[in-house]
Amino acid sequence: MGRQIVHRLLVSFPALLGVLFLCFCLLQVVPADPAMIIAGPEAKAETIAAIRNELGLDRPIPIQFAEYIGRVLRGDLGRSIISNKMVSEELALTIGPTVELMLGAMLIAVPCGLALGTFAAVRRGRLSDRIIMAISVAGVSMPVFFIGLILIQYVGFKWGLLPFTGRTGPIWDGGLPSLVLPALTLGLVLIGPIARLTRTAVLEVLGADFVRTARAKGLRETVVIIHHALRNALIPVVTLIGLQAAFLLGGAVVTETMFSWPGVGRLAVGAIVSSDFPTAQGAIMILAIAFLTINLLVDVLYVYLDPRVQRS
Amino acid sequence: MSVEALNAPAAETSGPLSRSGVLHRLARDKVAAVAALVLTLIALSAVFAPVVAPYDPYLTDLTKVMQPPSAEHWFGTDNTGRDILSRVIYGTRNTLMLGLIGVVIGGLLGGLLGILAAYYPRADGWIMRLVDVMLAFPAILIGLAVAAVAGAGLGAVVIALVVATVPDVARVARGAAVGVMGQEFMEAGRAVGVSDRTLIWRYLTLNCISTIFVFLTLRFGQIILIGSALGFLGMGAQPPTAELGMMAAQGRDFLFMAPHIATIPSCAIFVIVLAANLLGDALRDVLDPRLQT
Repeated sequence: MGRQIVHRLLVSFPALLGVLFLCFCLLQVVPADPAMIIAGPEAKAETIAAIRNELGLDRPIPIQFAEYIGRVLRGDLGRSIISNKMVSEELALTIGPTVELMLGAMLIAVPCGLALGTFAAVRRGRLSDRIIMAISVAGVSMPVFFIGLILIQYVGFKWGLLPFTGRTGPIWDGGLPSLVLPALTLGLVLIGPIARLTRTAVLEVLGADFVRTARAKGLRETVVIIHHALRNALIPVVTLIGLQAAFLLGGAVVTETMFSWPGVGRLAVGAIVSSDFPTAQGAIMILAIAFLTINLLVDVLYVYLDPRVQRS
Repeated sequence: MSVEALNAPAAETSGPLSRSGVLHRLARDKVAAVAALVLTLIALSAVFAPVVAPYDPYLTDLTKVMQPPSAEHWFGTDNTGRDILSRVIYGTRNTLMLGLIGVVIGGLLGGLLGILAAYYPRADGWIMRLVDVMLAFPAILIGLAVAAVAGAGLGAVVIALVVATVPDVARVARGAAVGVMGQEFMEAGRAVGVSDRTLIWRYLTLNCISTIFVFLTLRFGQIILIGSALGFLGMGAQPPTAELGMMAAQGRDFLFMAPHIATIPSCAIFVIVLAANLLGDALRDVLDPRLQT
């Protein structure tokens, strides 16, 4: 298993390098000269030249890229043009809330999706199966912000049940109520695809010989379904969750913007709107690395769930 | 055996698209038929927007601000008194166009990459590495990155949607093409000296096209969702251009006073994507059940 993980890490290295290169290019092709922005509109030519020299903008591109990787490894992502704070410090503040939001969403989506999908598979062809599948198709087709708008409008505003702007603090410090609506918004979108795939996977497993054997030896139906069918059906479902990572990340950006959730996505959107290139680039890089990490975790989990992958 | 004779079996089995009765089988599926009808109506009204829209979508009327739906304005008016129905019709036009451009350009590029990767084993590794790197950037991030560099606008969204489509299509196309490469007629074609170009186009591509087409139909809804999310984030169409995602974002500021301004465009997106997804599912079942998950 260790070798598998090392191999996977090596494979994701080119992707990581690609991500870094594209992020580096982002700063290169920006129409405005960063040195001029930092120096201000009335700066003298010498001042701009000095800043260019200080930033290393007058050196050849490959050397700049190598230096850039060095800086990233040291955690130096430059300074925000707007707030003049270190980008890494601003990012450090936002990573926690984003992880919290994503975990919260998964905590809602995965159990609900698994339960609904399994239930639909067991009740195949009946009314409840059709209703669950109809809801899941509808869920897949729903824009994230639509769900958010409805939740804000009703749960947040009309009924006044939960807060819907900002984050009041970490979960362990009374922040749970402010997390519920954003996490629910993001989680509800994911239930559909998870339920759909779980249903297909469970149906496939339910026809397998070992399930028939389990039934034949007189195991209770719930044991058969949970221990034999669902456990084996989890493998494709985990893959799907990996594939949904892009969706989760994109959804998180939208959700954070809607709920003024102080995460990486909102930071990125805000930075782009205010042309704060270093911050935008740092935030985009962190999001891309997060995406790679989620996929890596999914692969590791895959090996754990399906020992056959190890042997192959 | 002549080259023409060799082509015949390839074309015959050229995939389920050429099977007769596809439309017939689709029409028997009631859900798919309704979805197709709804999509056709939406597409027609988008194409003929200037004729169908009851008002000018950009005409502001400050005496009729934030009116709820009524007989005069079916979907009500927005915060500057513009008719929401007309704006939704024009917005649908832009949203559909974005989705189509993304799927068509992304499909062509991705299909080409996938097929070339399957045909030239030497290029395979490189192409697939490139695809992996592209996959490392979720579409929304691409949109954000392009908007950061070139400024927000429809162009940024188009690039994001194309980049979002290419890697997945490339993988599906490669998978299908690798299957076709193993078939005997490919070997036979090579043996009688058919040129690479003919082999790639007539033997390989035509046999993969239905798989790629079905996959793109399935992706269309997702692409529209990504496009409208970017619009919602303010990275796409800029006001006053009507685009459904951006209209929803603008309506958000008036959510508590006039919820219809934000919910109606969101609902429109939902209906379009739902119809596209249902139709895509049905098409897949008829044309290419292998893609089923």
